[in-house]
Amino acid sequence: MAHHEPEQLTETQLKYLRTERTKEMRIQMISFGLMIFLTFIAFALVALELDKNFIVPIVIGLAFIQVALQFYYFMHMKDKGHDFAKLLILTGLYFAIAFVVCFIMIVWIGNPI
Amino acid sequence: MAQVKGKKAGFGAVLWDYLTTVDHKKIAILYLIAGGFFFALGGIEAMLIRAQLAIPNNDFLSAGLFNEVITMHGTTMIFLAAMPLLFAFMNAVVPLQIGARDVAFPFLNSLGVWLFIFGGIFLNLSWFLGGAPDAGWTSYASLSIASPGHGIDFYAVGLQIAGAGTLISGINFATTIITMRAPGMTYMRMPLFTWTTLVAAILIVFAFPPLTIGVFLMIFDRMFGSNFFIVEAGGNTIIWEHLFWIFGHPEVYILILPAFGMFSEIFSVFSRKRLFGYSAMVFATVLIGFFGFMVWAHHMFTVGLGPTANAIFALATMAIAVPTGIKIFNWIATIWGGSIEFTTPMLYALAFIPSFVMGGVTGIMQAAAPADYQYHDSYFIVAHFHYVIVGGVVFALLAGLHFYWPIMTGTMLSEKLGKLEMVIFFIGFHCTFLIQHWLGLWGMPRRVFTYLDGQGYNAANMISSIGAALMAVAVIILLINIIKTLVKNEKVGRDPWGDGRTLEWSLPIPAPYYNFAQTPLIRGIDVLALEKEEGDGTIPSAGPVEPIHMPNNSFIPFMISLGLFIAGFGALYFASGKPWAIDAVADLPVRPWALYVLIAGLAITFISMGVRSWKDDLGYYITKEELEADLRELEARERGAN
Amino acid sequence: MAEMRYNVPNDQWPVHPEKATLEGRNKFVGFWTFLAGETVLFASLFATYLALKDQVPSQDHLVAAELYHLELAFVMTMFLLTSSLTSVFAVYHMRNNNFGKMQLWLGITVLLGAGFLALEIYEFVEYVSIGHTFRSSAFGSAFYFLIGTHGFHVIVGLIWITLLIIRNANRGLSVYTAAKVNTASLYWHFIDVVWVFIFTIVYLLGVL
Repeated sequence: MAHHEPEQLTETQLKYLRTERTKEMRIQMISFGLMIFLTFIAFALVALELDKNFIVPIVIGLAFIQVALQFYYFMHMKDKGHDFAKLLILTGLYFAIAFVVCFIMIVWIGNPI
Repeated sequence: MAQVKGKKAGFGAVLWDYLTTVDHKKIAILYLIAGGFFFALGGIEAMLIRAQLAIPNNDFLSAGLFNEVITMHGTTMIFLAAMPLLFAFMNAVVPLQIGARDVAFPFLNSLGVWLFIFGGIFLNLSWFLGGAPDAGWTSYASLSIASPGHGIDFYAVGLQIAGAGTLISGINFATTIITMRAPGMTYMRMPLFTWTTLVAAILIVFAFPPLTIGVFLMIFDRMFGSNFFIVEAGGNTIIWEHLFWIFGHPEVYILILPAFGMFSEIFSVFSRKRLFGYSAMVFATVLIGFFGFMVWAHHMFTVGLGPTANAIFALATMAIAVPTGIKIFNWIATIWGGSIEFTTPMLYALAFIPSFVMGGVTGIMQAAAPADYQYHDSYFIVAHFHYVIVGGVVFALLAGLHFYWPIMTGTMLSEKLGKLEMVIFFIGFHCTFLIQHWLGLWGMPRRVFTYLDGQGYNAANMISSIGAALMAVAVIILLINIIKTLVKNEKVGRDPWGDGRTLEWSLPIPAPYYNFAQTPLIRGIDVLALEKEEGDGTIPSAGPVEPIHMPNNSFIPFMISLGLFIAGFGALYFASGKPWAIDAVADLPVRPWALYVLIAGLAITFISMGVRSWKDDLGYYITKEELEADLRELEARERGAN
Repeated sequence: MAEMRYNVPNDQWPVHPEKATLEGRNKFVGFWTFLAGETVLFASLFATYLALKDQVPSQDHLVAAELYHLELAFVMTMFLLTSSLTSVFAVYHMRNNNFGKMQLWLGITVLLGAGFLALEIYEFVEYVSIGHTFRSSAFGSAFYFLIGTHGFHVIVGLIWITLLIIRNANRGLSVYTAAKVNTASLYWHFIDVVWVFIFTIVYLLGVL
């Protein structure tokens, strides 16, 4: 049904909502700061030309943290009512990792595992 | 807007109604007609194959034409017949089973069906425009890059268009089942067909994107000069095999799970019993869906992935037998002790169990990687997948057609003809494919257009071809049945099988275009059976009669699909005769108009999408008075019928 | 029931305007389902890219480590990350029933996205000029297909959001337009998610 019964919000409710939302925005700003920071570290690690075996897992780990922040905060996956979103995205990520690993390991004949 | 009631509408009006409809019941009819047409086409191709192979050294079809026919048979049957027919039943039944007024996205539903129809037409136009694709339905890149002419291009572009439609429908059904269930219809009260549709829809969401990418790689290589599969430029054809089977294996579960769902409904209705082990069935469905993604490389054991990879995929494949076994035992336990009624759908369902188990057992044989080196590319494989797909999916489609025919058309197919059809189809099916197991083990390779005399293949191939003819006879009987029923047009009332257990059977037939005048209240699993046992068999309402919000019809889905159809031709002829093109099309005449057609087609599509986004589409309301008038009319009609 | 109401007073604006109607909830669930499909779509692209990375026909073709500039990738990342934040702002103002500010932040998002796109086009033009093209090698094909598909998503997102800004300009906010804005913003965030993997896997690990 397209129509929704507009519920009248009281002054206090409105004020409460506004403060909650402002609080949330503060958290969003913090997660944005974190993302910038993580990006910076990732680029710095590569630019410093440290040992490859050391950098690769860290950089990939940082990417996953950043993506988690993006999903959970920016896209509100942490909020209520996102159960299916969570289930689907996590399943999708699981399949994604499986596909990528397979393509790295077994696409080229000659070095089969 | 409100549909024409009682009056005979003109042909033009009916046509326009179906071109613009967003009603899931009408879209189901569209899927049924188009899917049925392609099923007949694929069936004719199958007959050609069996006619060619009936005797040794046959020259009924040339080698090249035979390749085209087998390719189109496989592609048509999987993409244009089996899946659309399943979508027909999903559309007709699922919204009614969960107590919804329509699907979540009626507009996208319509877009899905038109994309499928245009994709199917595009693919089949290849017969008239220089030859059909000829690299097998798997279209392995090493073959398809070398295939001269535009055949493979029709395959790639046609599948891309039809595949987009399927993906859209998948998203639509997943959303519908998640958000649109009636009050009280919890997940663990959903009928099994709804459950399997949900899992199949989610499989579509995860399986079709890899196909999209794979087909795009093919399109770019063949039409735009890229090098994904061109080995001299660093490409790798194994990528196609992986992407295709990452899609292809879940695809067989996309087909078989809804079939399982339909059989679950049929078993419980005609045994007059609740489905045995409901929660185990749900669990098994989800598990099969999940495992379905982890096994694709078992199609590629002989590629040379290495022993570790082969072992992992062999093990995962064998694991799928466990949830499937759970299902088989639950169905048997459902029939056990039931008061069984041998109707046509029930006969198909009973025939399905042994047939499907045989296909499953040969599947386990192939899952053993070392043994698979023997079976690979032989008729054993052909026998196996026809046992699961015909013995599972096609049996379910035919059973479902008889079972849900009253819901879709308001009439009942003749049981006498139906049983005759079932018996002939069953005999023909086993006659065709059982012997092919031995043919494979005796060494007959698949996809060969003929064989020499004196190799011991003659008798077996003849038996197989006779079986195929029997199946054709059965389908013709079905057609006669359908025509007779439609001509007679004897309307049936509510719950025509008499033992309907789920919500869709509680509705008047034909269901009103808004489905439920009042939102139903679901008090338990198998809600209609529950209300029959505990009350008068009417479903309680969750609320009073209220105005109902309905979506507007729209012509935009047709235009979006048409645009892609036109753009397809532009892409297809783009590389003809260009200096950078692959050898397969480099010698063809240059088509200077190709680029403009491509741009024009895409422009139609994107402008149509823009228009859709720009306009407010708020739908309309059916007033309370209209609903009450409808309810009174229905009551009068049903009292008159009694 | 009523006609779609635009610009309702604050005290009648729902707490979750984007999910206030059944259509809105459907859109929300359906779009997340679509994004799950997109995850697998991009996974296939990444897999293809990784399988074909540095696969060139001969020695005189450039490979990843010689091609990529980290500086450019860093600037592009900053553009896209910031645009993700600005679209969060837009949704925040949408929930607060502040139409003007919502439009403003959507506009800023589009500008930042356009900046990103301009840099990407600049990058492509430069690569093409030194012989790394879609048709030069399997590596080239895979690179342009992965980055190009992301770029195509950016273009679609830009057109979509621009269209929303214009169409809503003389309509205002309602639960109907709120659902549209929320969906577009989810899409925009997802583009950023994909970019995080692109700059990590393609650029950072590419120059190692």
